[in-house]
Amino acid sequence: MRALTRLLCRFGCLLALCWLAACAQPFVPEERLSFDAPTRATVTAVPLIQQEDFFCGPTSIAMVMQWAGADITQQEVAALAFNPGAGGTYLADMIGSSRRLGQLAVEISDFDQLIAEVTAGHPVIVFQNLGLGIAPVWHYGVVTGYDFERDEVYLNSGQLDQMIMAFAVFERTWRRGDFWGLVVLPPDQLPASAPEADVLAAGAALERVEQFQAAETLYEAGAARWPENWLWQFGLGNARYARGDLRGARQALRRARTLGPDIPEVRANLAFVEAELAG
Amino acid sequence: MRLLNISKKSMAIALSAQLVLATQAVTVAQAEMLGTDAAISKYTALNNRSVLMDELQREDVQAEMIAMGVDPAEAEARLAALSDAEISTILTQMENDSAGADILGTLFTIFVILLVTDLLCLTRFFNFTRCVR
Repeated sequence: MRALTRLLCRFGCLLALCWLAACAQPFVPEERLSFDAPTRATVTAVPLIQQEDFFCGPTSIAMVMQWAGADITQQEVAALAFNPGAGGTYLADMIGSSRRLGQLAVEISDFDQLIAEVTAGHPVIVFQNLGLGIAPVWHYGVVTGYDFERDEVYLNSGQLDQMIMAFAVFERTWRRGDFWGLVVLPPDQLPASAPEADVLAAGAALERVEQFQAAETLYEAGAARWPENWLWQFGLGNARYARGDLRGARQALRRARTLGPDIPEVRANLAFVEAELAG
Repeated sequence: MRLLNISKKSMAIALSAQLVLATQAVTVAQAEMLGTDAAISKYTALNNRSVLMDELQREDVQAEMIAMGVDPAEAEARLAALSDAEISTILTQMENDSAGADILGTLFTIFVILLVTDLLCLTRFFNFTRCVR
């Protein structure tokens, strides 16, 4: 009887998998992506962490941060992100906790961005529904690679083994999560696919959670990549001011003024810093 | 008449109080650094708009519009009537439809022309466009 149950269960799983893959269209990169992506890419050295119950969100962040060299555990992330009442981690808390830990966190929302990040060597946290629309099993995993030829997506998914999904299955589970993805990086590394405005906003968010050092690093990186935009120097000035570095702030705000001579906010903050330096 | 006087006086008091408050509000605003957040939301929208406006000024774009029977001045007026939020919605859709790549050159031109023709009810390309007829 037990053997029969097990057989049924296996059969059921198999059936479910077949069904998931059934109406599957193969992933044709030429049709689905707007750029020529390499056939395969892998982000190396993303650690596999066995998640504790319900900690897939914090575990995903911990894996990505450990990959970047941080010394952090899923419990430490969970303290900032996990919602015990909900038995899970909300999307907003995934972003918020990453920022409170001094990371640059930017959302992505399609395959183009996902593949661009992975080929740039950045792991991407994805939000999936591994169950069905009517019986959702929400889950966070980390995409660490893909292979178009073998039709495989590689994930660190809270287990000690790497998870391998066919593109079609991955797409279904990710689609049910509204293609929500999160790039979490140390603030001196910029995401490959995010628009400038999103990265700027992520910097301002770091200021809001008083991660001024991280904000300063991010603004410096942004200023190097987008040198004509005064907003990076403006943010840099504000972050330095918040850290008590008045001279550094003045220097950045002066550069901001050179780039945007007519911006009243730049003039106001520069005058403010200069007054404080004089007084 | 006396009543009128009183109301005049109270009006004056109210107004001067308001003035004092307003002055104070300005002083308070200057007593701290202006935030990056506010500047970003203000100026990135402005940038977006000026990018679209610049595109409209281009000769080939104008020629294209005239060929389609669109008055460039009217096109500009329609674009100016969009709110910042609407502009950024449109730009987001442009980015999504060009599948994330930087919108460059011809593609962007086509988008801008489509946007203008949308606004003039000639096409219906963008999810969000007001077309008033």
